[in-house]
Amino acid sequence: MLGRGVKRKWSCLEEAEVVSEARQLVLGLCLEKLQRYQAGVELSLRRSVLLINTLRQIQEEMRSDGVGSCDVHPDSCLLRDDFREDVTVTCPGCSEGESPPELPSQEANGSDQQKPPAAVSDAVNAMGYLGDLALDDIFEDIDTSMYETSDLPSAWASGSLPQSHSTAGSLQSCLMDLNELDHIMEILVVETHLVGPGLQNGFSL
Amino acid sequence: EGPSSSSSSSTVGIHRPALPMTGWEQVCRFLDPEPADLSMEEESDTRKINNSFLRDHNYATEADIISTVEFNSSGELLATGDKGGRVVVFQREQESKSQPQRRGEYNVYSTFQSHEPEFDYLKSLEIEEKINKIKWLPQQNAAYFLLSTNDKTVKLWKISERDKRPEGYNLKDEDGRIRDPSTITSLRVPVLQPMDLMVEATARRVFSNAHTYHINSISVNSDLQTFISTDDLRVNLWNLEITDRSFNIVDIKPANMEELTEVITSAEFHPQQCHTFAYSSSKGSIRLCDMRQAALCDKHCKYFEEPEDPSTRSFFSEIISSISDVKFSHNGRYLMTRDYLTVKVWDLQMENKPLETYQVHDYLRGKLCSLYENDCIFDKFECVWNGSDSVIMTGSYNNFFRMFDRNTKRDVTLEASRENSKPRAILKPRKVCVGGKRRKDEISVDSLDFSKKILHTTWHPHENIIAVAATNNLYIFQDKVN
Repeated sequence: MLGRGVKRKWSCLEEAEVVSEARQLVLGLCLEKLQRYQAGVELSLRRSVLLINTLRQIQEEMRSDGVGSCDVHPDSCLLRDDFREDVTVTCPGCSEGESPPELPSQEANGSDQQKPPAAVSDAVNAMGYLGDLALDDIFEDIDTSMYETSDLPSAWASGSLPQSHSTAGSLQSCLMDLNELDHIMEILVVETHLVGPGLQNGFSL
Repeated sequence: EGPSSSSSSSTVGIHRPALPMTGWEQVCRFLDPEPADLSMEEESDTRKINNSFLRDHNYATEADIISTVEFNSSGELLATGDKGGRVVVFQREQESKSQPQRRGEYNVYSTFQSHEPEFDYLKSLEIEEKINKIKWLPQQNAAYFLLSTNDKTVKLWKISERDKRPEGYNLKDEDGRIRDPSTITSLRVPVLQPMDLMVEATARRVFSNAHTYHINSISVNSDLQTFISTDDLRVNLWNLEITDRSFNIVDIKPANMEELTEVITSAEFHPQQCHTFAYSSSKGSIRLCDMRQAALCDKHCKYFEEPEDPSTRSFFSEIISSISDVKFSHNGRYLMTRDYLTVKVWDLQMENKPLETYQVHDYLRGKLCSLYENDCIFDKFECVWNGSDSVIMTGSYNNFFRMFDRNTKRDVTLEASRENSKPRAILKPRKVCVGGKRRKDEISVDSLDFSKKILHTTWHPHENIIAVAATNNLYIFQDKVN
C-alpha cells in the first residue's frame, strides 16, 4: 500500500481538482455553520460576518475559476494536506465565546435534514442582516449533493468522497506519492481510529 | 533594556525586573475541588484549594467559566468575571513578618453578582449575564471602583470596607425598629463601634440601552471622567456621572446591512492622551482616532494594516487576521494586537507594517480547516503587556500561555494546569513538537487539547505577577528569580 519513492509531478488539472474539492469542503462547512443557530440566543455578528465573507470569497473564486486559470497557488497542497488528514473533532469547551458547536453527526434533530439553501436563508433571516440579497447568486453553480446527508463529516473523515467525485482514486495515489512515511502513517492511524467509537475525552486533531 | 551585563556592583541599584523567562512559580490557584484534593496529605496548600470561590456547590458548572481577569492599577486587587455574571475580587496578602513567604498571595476579598440574565422581549432573545470585561478605575479614595459589562449593559461598582457601625440611636433600637416616643426620656447620640470587617459592593451607576450589538470592550479614559463602550458596530462615549446619555463617536454600520463586511472587535483609550483612542477590526486593521477633530470619529487619524502575505493565503486568511484584542503599551508609544496565530507590536508612528510580529502557535497553520470546523478558529485570545512594556504575554490551547521578551527576542511556553504544578513549584517550559520525532517532554500538535484554552490573562502593573484564567480555574504566578 505504501508507495515507494516514485515522485510524480502534479499536473495542473489534478491540483485544480484538489483545490476545487477543498473549496467544496469549506463551502459546506460555511453553509453548515450558517444554518446551525440556536433559537433564543443572539448570533455573534462577528462570526456571521466572517462566515459570510468566507462564503463570498469562495463564490468569487468559483466564478473566476470558470475562466479556467491554471495558476493554482503553490500552497494548495498545504490546504489539501490539511483537509485530508483532518478528523471530525468535538470541542466541548468551546462554548465560552460564540454559539456552541455541536458535533455535526449528532445533529439528528432534523434541522439539517432540510435542503441547505432553504435552511441557510432561514438562518440568514434569523441573523437579520443579509436579508435575501444575492442568496441565489451565492448558491448558484454549487454542487450540493455533498450536503444532503446528515453524517457528512464522518463520511469525509472516513475517507469516502462524495458520489459526484470520480477522481477519488487518483487523489488517493497522489497522497501516497508524497513520500513521507510519517504523514502516511498518521492518516492510517486516524482512519483506523474512526472505525471505532470515536473520540472520548477532550479531543485531539 | 534588560539588566546591565557589566560586572560592576553598581548594577545592584537597577530597579528593572529581571527577564521573566524562567523562574515562574505558582503563588496560588483557585480550582474546582476534585475528590482527590480533599484527601491529599502532602498538599501543604489545601487551604487554597478548598477555599475555591465556586458557588455553593462542589462541582464546576458552565457558570463558573472565567470570562475576564484584570489587576487594578496598583496591583493590590485582582478581579475576575465569569459566565454566570459574577465578579470575584481578590486582594493581595499584606506583608507579614511571621509568614514572609505569604507575601504575593491573593485571597478572596469580595464576591458579588454583577449582572443577571435578561430577556429582550422585542427580539425574543436572551441577554447573557456573562461578564465580558472588567476595568478598574484608579483609586481616588478609600473605596475601589470598577466597571463591569455584559453584552448590553455597563455597571459601575463601588467596593468599600466597613469596619465600624453606629450604635446607640436615639429614636430606634438596635434592631432598627422605631422606639415608642413615650419611652424616650433622654437624648443620646450614636457612637461608632468597631465591627468585623465587611466588604460590600454596590452598583453606583448603570449604563444601559446604548448598544444594539454585543459589547466587546470598555476602556476608562485617562481623564478619569469618561469611558468608552464598544460593540460590533459602534463606539459610545460616556461620562461616569451620567447614565442617561452617551455620545456615539464611531459608527460603522452601513446604511444597507447587506453591505456589512467588517465589524469592530476591540477599542481602547490611549493611556495618556485623553482625546485619542484606537479600535481594531475583523479584517485585521487598527484605526487611531482623535476626538478633537469631529464629534463623530468617522475619519481615522491613522490606519494600521499589514499587507497580506500572498504565500500564506487560504480560505481562512481573513478569519485568522481578525484582531481579537488591542492594547496600548503603558508608555503610550506602541500598540499590540492579537490575531489568531500571532501577536504584533505596532509603532504608532508607522502604519504600514508592525514593528514586531511574534508567532504564538504557528503549528496550527496547517490545521486551520479542522479549527474552522470545530469553531476554534473564532476563539478570541487576549494579550497583555508587562509593566515595563518589555515582555508581552498571550494564551494558547492546551492551557499553554506564551511570553515574548521584546528585547532579547526569547520566548517561553508555560502551562497552567493542576497536573503539572504544585504550589511554589517552578513552571517548566513546554514545547510543542511539530514534525517527526517527538522528544520526551514535548507534546505533539495532534495531542493538544483544544477545549483547554487560555483566553484571558493579566499582568501586575509593577511586578512580575500574572494571573491566568484556565476555563474555570484561576492561577496566579510570580517570578521567583526577581
